[in-house]
Amino acid sequence: MTAATILAPEIGPAQRESVLGRTNPLVKLGIALVWLVGLGLTLDVRPPLILALIALVAAMELGSIHPDTLARRLAPLALAAILIALTNLLFSTHNPDPAATEVLRIGPLRITQEALEAAAGLGARVVSIVSVGAVFALTTDATYLVDSLVQLGHVSPRFAYGLLAAYQAVPRLADDLTTLRGARRLRGLREWDPRLLIGLLVRAIRHADQLSIAMDARGFGAGPRTSYRLVSWMRLDASVGGAALVILIVTLLVSR
Amino acid sequence: MTTVDRVQAPSPTSPFDAWRTRDIVVAAVIGVVFGVVFFAWNQLYAGLDAVTKPFSDVIYGMWLVPAILAPLVIRKPGAALFAEMAGAGVSALLGSQWGPDTLLSGFVQGAAAELVFAFVGYRRWSFPVVAVAAIASALAAWAHDWVLYYADVSLGLQLLRLSFMALSAVVIAGLGSLALERSLRRTGVLDRFGAARGSTG
Repeated sequence: MTAATILAPEIGPAQRESVLGRTNPLVKLGIALVWLVGLGLTLDVRPPLILALIALVAAMELGSIHPDTLARRLAPLALAAILIALTNLLFSTHNPDPAATEVLRIGPLRITQEALEAAAGLGARVVSIVSVGAVFALTTDATYLVDSLVQLGHVSPRFAYGLLAAYQAVPRLADDLTTLRGARRLRGLREWDPRLLIGLLVRAIRHADQLSIAMDARGFGAGPRTSYRLVSWMRLDASVGGAALVILIVTLLVSR
Repeated sequence: MTTVDRVQAPSPTSPFDAWRTRDIVVAAVIGVVFGVVFFAWNQLYAGLDAVTKPFSDVIYGMWLVPAILAPLVIRKPGAALFAEMAGAGVSALLGSQWGPDTLLSGFVQGAAAELVFAFVGYRRWSFPVVAVAAIASALAAWAHDWVLYYADVSLGLQLLRLSFMALSAVVIAGLGSLALERSLRRTGVLDRFGAARGSTG
């Protein structure tokens, strides 16, 4: 896999045409953030695991994401969940508490039942956040997202499209990096060096400069704008958003 | 292209003048470049975390760089928040272990730095101001992490994390951004930006 394919995740037509692909990105973003807040309300291990499971099933069933793609995306992120759980387990506020139930003692290290439960809950929270994030990223087209932000979210079109223009340059960054490393190799220098970042930024800023001149030359941000791709709310958005809200509430209630 | 633009040098501008297209795209590009760096940093942090928690937080400052570097370059209100969120958005799309929360982190980190720059009226860009902005950003990130990820962790470790994060913010985000800005200015790419007006200090 080349750097360019990692750095510019293109979503395919199958994902784009899927139920989740057609759902407005703002709705998906809203769901992701509301679920995040909901997850912050509980330390129980069950709600985050249920939500993660639902997110993953939805990704495959409603998002047409191949299980392999999902697994490839999630595997490296699993480590984060384990580490968060481990940190909370080892450094828990409950461990020094004499009233807490001890389950294990290794020298000065004391692990309590309460710490185990909280650590499991927080680890599960990360699993859930990562799963929801993967579903969003793997079913969302960046242009659709920005069009929606501008037309439905009333975000400043100059900032939104300026950002989209900069984002489209990501594959270019990979090429620039290859060129810069090649130049260093040719000069007999180490290929990886923090100073590569300066070169990368110089090229990126120069590119942004030219891009902004080209955009200004075409009347970008001057006067009222019309839209080529019209985005509007659909019944699907309400259904997906409503379903997600119900799922969250039921999950949080069930765990009590 | 550059020569033509130098002839039509912009008149001295106030930090509150509307953003030019160039400011928007350059701030966005800074965010995007660091979004890619964040993606790599996420892997590095996970690796470090596995062996050296909480010392891994000494690299935390990298995630705060756009919130400092973009305002240093653009010198306009909103640059810290915009660039930090752009970086967060890109790293979330590329696949971050913090998923949608990356956006929330980006928001609090960018907003905290933004507040400090706003407090000095977007007119002072000295090291102390930059250092305070970096620490504010780290403080916001720390509070956010506490609630969301380290809810059960003891106060001692929380404070240890905070000190590592603040130190890292000052060194990587503060000194690092100042050094990057100086290097960039020397190359001439910032000739028509706020940073070239020499209002440091």
